[in-house]
Amino acid sequence: MDYFLGAVIPYTACMVFIFGTALRVVSWLKAPVPFHLTLFPAPIGAMGRIRAIFADVLLCGSLFREDKALWLRVWLFHFSFALIIAGHIAGIYYLRDQFVLIGLTHEASHTLSRFSGAIAGVIITISLLLLLWGRLANPIVRKLSVPEDFFTLLLLISIAVTGILMHLPGFRVNISEVRSFMGRLIFFEPSALPRSPMFIAHFLLVNLLLIYFPFSRLLHSVGYFVNRVMLTEAAPIYPTPATKTLRSPFAEVKAEPDASLSRRETLDREALHP
Amino acid sequence: MNTPLHLAKKEAMQSIGIECANGSAQKTKALELMNEFRKFSRSLSVMLETCTRCGVCAKACHSYLGTEDFNNIPAARAGLMRDIFNRYFSWSGRFFRKFAGSREFDKDTLDTWVSYFYQCTVCRRCAVFCPFGIDTGEIVLAGRNILTRLGIAPGFIVNIGMNELETGNNTGIRKPAIIDSCSFLEEELREETGLNIRIPVDKPQTEILYVPSSSELFTNADSLMGAAKIFHFLGIDWTLSSSLLEAANYGLHFNLDIMKRHNHRLSTAAAEVGATLVIQGECGHGWRAARMYSEGANGPFPYRMTHILPFVEERLADLSFAKLSMRATLHDPCNYARGAGLTESPRAILRECVTDFVEMTPNREKNFCCGGGAGLLMDEMLDIRMRLGKMKAEQIKSLLPLDYVALPCASCKAQVPLLLKHYGMDEIATGGVIELAGKALVMRP
Repeated sequence: MDYFLGAVIPYTACMVFIFGTALRVVSWLKAPVPFHLTLFPAPIGAMGRIRAIFADVLLCGSLFREDKALWLRVWLFHFSFALIIAGHIAGIYYLRDQFVLIGLTHEASHTLSRFSGAIAGVIITISLLLLLWGRLANPIVRKLSVPEDFFTLLLLISIAVTGILMHLPGFRVNISEVRSFMGRLIFFEPSALPRSPMFIAHFLLVNLLLIYFPFSRLLHSVGYFVNRVMLTEAAPIYPTPATKTLRSPFAEVKAEPDASLSRRETLDREALHP
Repeated sequence: MNTPLHLAKKEAMQSIGIECANGSAQKTKALELMNEFRKFSRSLSVMLETCTRCGVCAKACHSYLGTEDFNNIPAARAGLMRDIFNRYFSWSGRFFRKFAGSREFDKDTLDTWVSYFYQCTVCRRCAVFCPFGIDTGEIVLAGRNILTRLGIAPGFIVNIGMNELETGNNTGIRKPAIIDSCSFLEEELREETGLNIRIPVDKPQTEILYVPSSSELFTNADSLMGAAKIFHFLGIDWTLSSSLLEAANYGLHFNLDIMKRHNHRLSTAAAEVGATLVIQGECGHGWRAARMYSEGANGPFPYRMTHILPFVEERLADLSFAKLSMRATLHDPCNYARGAGLTESPRAILRECVTDFVEMTPNREKNFCCGGGAGLLMDEMLDIRMRLGKMKAEQIKSLLPLDYVALPCASCKAQVPLLLKHYGMDEIATGGVIELAGKALVMRP
């Protein structure tokens, strides 16, 4: 059982996450983009494209323009999610000593680590609840939603809640035990799961999320970039440069003459327009 | 079926080379075509599978705001295809059907497709406001292409497609009639200005080929006359081509093969007169098709290509205008602003031509569609079109009193006058930007 929970499940989940996502993305990229789908005003040059896409990612700019309330929920969620990922990596690697690197004492670092973790946890939970509320309260969005959308939110909420509970007194989890378990897991020396129900719940829910990811709308995180790259492509220039490769097999002009052209009347227009 | 659309007869479909699929074969063929399309164009699957149904697009779509029909919300409209796509082509949708929002392909599927894919004007406003940039227009065009190849398309659009293939213009006029009309317009110009302003047709060894919308020979003649005056003023050697006298390209609306053939015709026509520069006239989707789709559909194009508006803008310093005393606004055609990045030229020209130029709000890439784009100009769609144009009418209403709405697009020129009448603003004049430039131009003897 330890082996199953502590090794089989996490490794399977990671494989499904990595290969599943890769397969989905490859299946998109295999199809050509036969036409320029540039959405104007378009950024200029490669750097312009990169800047435009990343500015939009970091601030969710296109959403801000249309719906400020949704923007706040969405941005808070994604921002705190990014903080939490960073916190997990740093927190587990340095065992809450990460802030010693910027000159704090061990104790201050531990406090700050707990404090920022708690804040991020609370923000992500609130933003997720707000997102769920938004889906339910707005009749249009509720009608657009399918069960999957609610499942995704509930799954994320349960991960956030178990994550917060792990740090509360009643469910005291030994962080160094978790750290050594995670460390071994990452270096392919799996060990038994720490005996804490709340940690086990949090851990298994995250694994479920990883498995669920490639099959779900969470893939919008990758689809966003694939889509934006299409929309920010530079517009074509004419005459077409000789070096330009065809965009897709559809572009090959057939050698046979256009049948409809031959049917055209030939009238000596010189008589009328000398 | 809840669409008023008059669908093309079997024979009409056959004339554009399409065999209708019947009853039981429809489903198999539709799914085959969806699979084909998803391998043909990346946009379909990415845009279908990235949508998180956040609903932001509802407030961005003139079609939903005007009709308040749930299925006209871009995410729901795309959902008509996404749910079927999920069911047959996605991992989760095949196994967890209800959960992932899959839907079986049933007898209503194609009905809803034809009904709602023809209530979208492919204006791309949803793509501007979607956090992911999902362009519902792409899904709509894929849907329309699939429908067409199943033998389902509006008769109006198919007829125009046939005309384009047959004569190279939407109205189906042939060379004698074209020459006739041009002579008539030349006569008009002579009466108006006393000058011998030519509208040459098929003039060989001409550097510049001008491709107006064929409606400019009749209903929007002032636009062609305006262009002729400007060319005359600048001393430019130009010609029309009788084998391609149509800036529009209806193939873009329903069948990519027809779009490709029309674009191909453009390059043939340019070669015939020996043109090194093709100038496209005032037509929204036509400019998008020519500029953005030529390379992908037809491979390399050997000539330069520009649009009449930037062409004139570049030469504003050489032209002399007497400003017309009017309060005018500009409607940004969707395919210029979002589809092809043409927003500043018409403004620059208008500022030279009228005394009082006012901006619509919102404008440029955030402008609302007039509701007449993407081939929806058929009579039977009039009621729906008036609702699709509600946002546009409100935009115009907020600028009253107003003398003129400049519409540099042939579809808008057909739709907006009807809108103004419907919403009680018939006193406002409408017309092209080049038309105004022609009127304001002070001709030299």
